[in-house]
Amino acid sequence: MLRFYIEVARTAFRRQLIYRWANLAGLITNAFWGAIISYLIIALYHARPVAAGYSVQDTLRYTWLAQAMIMIVLTFGWYDLMLTIRSGEVISDLSKPCDFYWYWFSREFGRDLYYLLFRGLPTYVSGMLLFSAGIPGRLDVWLLYAVSFLLGAMLGIAYRFLYNVIAFWVVEARAVGGMAGAIALFFSGGYLAVVFFPPWLRAIADWLPFNGLLNVPAEIFLGKLSGGDLWLNLARQLVWLIVLTLVARLVAAAATRRVVVQGG
Amino acid sequence: MLSNILSDLSLYRRLIGMQLRTQAQYKFNLLIDVGTYLFVTTMEFFGVLFYFGSFKSILGWTIGEVALLTATASFGFGLAEMIGAGIDSFDVTIRRGEFDRLLLRPVSAFIQVIGSDFRLRRLGRLTQGCIAFAIGFVLLPGFHWTPAKLLILLLGIASAAAIFVSILLMSATLCFWTVETTELFNSLTYGGREMMSYPLTIYHQLLQRFFLFVVPLAFGAYIPVCYLLDRPLPFDMPAVVAFASPLVALAFTLVAGAVWRFGVYHYQGTGS
Repeated sequence: MLRFYIEVARTAFRRQLIYRWANLAGLITNAFWGAIISYLIIALYHARPVAAGYSVQDTLRYTWLAQAMIMIVLTFGWYDLMLTIRSGEVISDLSKPCDFYWYWFSREFGRDLYYLLFRGLPTYVSGMLLFSAGIPGRLDVWLLYAVSFLLGAMLGIAYRFLYNVIAFWVVEARAVGGMAGAIALFFSGGYLAVVFFPPWLRAIADWLPFNGLLNVPAEIFLGKLSGGDLWLNLARQLVWLIVLTLVARLVAAAATRRVVVQGG
Repeated sequence: MLSNILSDLSLYRRLIGMQLRTQAQYKFNLLIDVGTYLFVTTMEFFGVLFYFGSFKSILGWTIGEVALLTATASFGFGLAEMIGAGIDSFDVTIRRGEFDRLLLRPVSAFIQVIGSDFRLRRLGRLTQGCIAFAIGFVLLPGFHWTPAKLLILLLGIASAAAIFVSILLMSATLCFWTVETTELFNSLTYGGREMMSYPLTIYHQLLQRFFLFVVPLAFGAYIPVCYLLDRPLPFDMPAVVAFASPLVALAFTLVAGAVWRFGVYHYQGTGS
């Protein structure tokens, strides 16, 4: 069975390879946004060298990391699953002799790998070239970052599965999806680093699942988390991953029990 | 000439009226859409405001002043998104071969394209612009209105909207050859709005010149807001330049119009 899922992931990876020009345009868009925010940050830091414990270099690095990871952990405007529900195509996926959730998980995992290689890496490298974002020099930071990023990517898949699968109940689910994406983008640190939130909002954001999408891996990358704090953050990420995955599977099971497809 | 323009305008009114009536049929959906869009854009705006918890100003611009910039850019962009929706989805019109049909009708193709969609849900961004204006003026208690300032602000917003629509039009013209819109132009529309939300001086000299003299979006946000706040204009330009915004926008619109006409003239159909 595992071989089947690996094959699904591989196919998704290869399917993505076709969109070469779209990816290049997307890459330029990511880099352009990164550049705008970088100019903003450099201008803000003009008056003081350190803010909220972040130096200008830290904040630049956070920004470019966010731009590089965004397509993986928070694929904005991802309605693939929703569209199959609307068109009825979903029935062919449900008929496959495999688990519906893990089928989509494998597909998305394959796509994530593509975006890591062909979107994330080049985006971050352009940040290094344009704004000297730099990279951490310690091996343990890289290893912990890899673990946290992997958890974040899987959390991202569970989350987008969830807000897509509501299309079984809501016809105009796109608005809900847009809202879900925006909330996640904000609370994960996609607009501005979570460290700049007002303290009361920060306290809430820390315990939300979105924190694990981007902010935790990024803070590890910056070397801001250590000791008990580090383990607490990783544990929260893991617990949210398990919870969201379970909920996603339960919702999918509930939805598929009542699915009725119009013949034709 | 004049009667042509008048008949175009009345046609546009009819097309838009049709759009509005259609969208008003789905009241609940419309409400949700406007609400979502307001929510998303407001969150973007708060993202900017939160920086000012840690930093007091950005190159001398206070939080209220930046809020005015953001509001002006949002308003111009929001209007353009609302009016120019038909241009924005032009690639679909081309791909389905619908444009060939439009060309057969004895009325302006441009009016038909721009009249083909009008997105009421973009009211969400305009509402966010209003909120940003309100916050900006509350944070700037010493601000004094003069008739000239009000005029400059309104002209600025209109100019920004015209320039944004022109960018959309040029991006749509490209569809004649590429059949699909390139995401690259998003950097000029969405990216341009984002850039105009902050003081122009934070950018590299080349980018400043680009947004003043090539794609003159700065005339739709930064320059009018500088005039409002009695700030000096970039590159030592005299304050009266602020009154030139509509002229600059008009020039840019004419260029976009020429590009569009060139595209229509050379369009050969998408076949199939």
